[in-house]
Amino acid sequence: MYGWIWRHLPGNAWVRSIIALALILAVVYALFQYVFPWAEPLLPFGDVTVDGASAGGAGAGQ
Amino acid sequence: MSVRLVVRTFSELCITVGALIVLFVVYFLFWTGVKAADAAEGEIDTLQSRWAREPVAPAPPPPSASTEPSAPAPYRDGKPFATMHIPRFGSGWEWPVLENTEVRTLQKGLGHYSGTARPGDTGNFAVAGHRRTYGDPFKDFPKLRPGDAVVVNDGTTWFTYRIAKRPYRTVPTDTAVVDPVPRGSGFESDGRYLTLTTCEPEWGSSHRLIAWAHLDATRPVSEGKPPELAD
Repeated sequence: MYGWIWRHLPGNAWVRSIIALALILAVVYALFQYVFPWAEPLLPFGDVTVDGASAGGAGAGQ
Repeated sequence: MSVRLVVRTFSELCITVGALIVLFVVYFLFWTGVKAADAAEGEIDTLQSRWAREPVAPAPPPPSASTEPSAPAPYRDGKPFATMHIPRFGSGWEWPVLENTEVRTLQKGLGHYSGTARPGDTGNFAVAGHRRTYGDPFKDFPKLRPGDAVVVNDGTTWFTYRIAKRPYRTVPTDTAVVDPVPRGSGFESDGRYLTLTTCEPEWGSSHRLIAWAHLDATRPVSEGKPPELAD
């Protein structure tokens, strides 16, 4: 997988390293900005309210 | 040859999943706190600039007139309307209180249970907050003791509530703890109460931790901070 990506990046080793670093940063940014905020409410840590609902959703209020 | 490919791909997948988990933990334990501190500061700034524009009411409504006929405007969903200070959690502990208890609201501060009383009113002013992540506002919740002050500022009045008893552990469906006369609190008749709720255990969601307080004193903001907040 990673070998395949590396072989398909253009340029010499330096250019490839820089592109790879940029790709990693882009992936981390996407995770922090979009994926994790979406996934986080699915975990139970946000349940701080008493709401009579099942434990699945985090505090939908009264 | 192909075995080699399978093994290599499998190990790469394992590394990827491991890295994802580490990143998620960093996000969860660290980044949510950064986001929440930023959001809470923004909400408090919003409140303070709103309060700076509005004239301060000359005097808070006297306690007997809390159910006055001219009902105040309802709080706007997801918007801040007060700040809360709990000296037990640290002298700099200040969080905005926002209307409703939805996930997105609680990521920016404390959430007021819609439909419960307003600060200082007869009934139960109920507020939920995160114990862990999103700035850990209620991290020290179990340290609350009877007599501790919970101070709420709604822009015109400082309301000082006093914790009535040690935090009470209950199940998530026990909605009677935010009733006007909360069940389990030891309060028996109508009064001006405050309820705080958070999760229990610290990192779990099987139970809730509840703290009750009753109104002890009010003070117009024009007279400055209440003595509980003097440092």
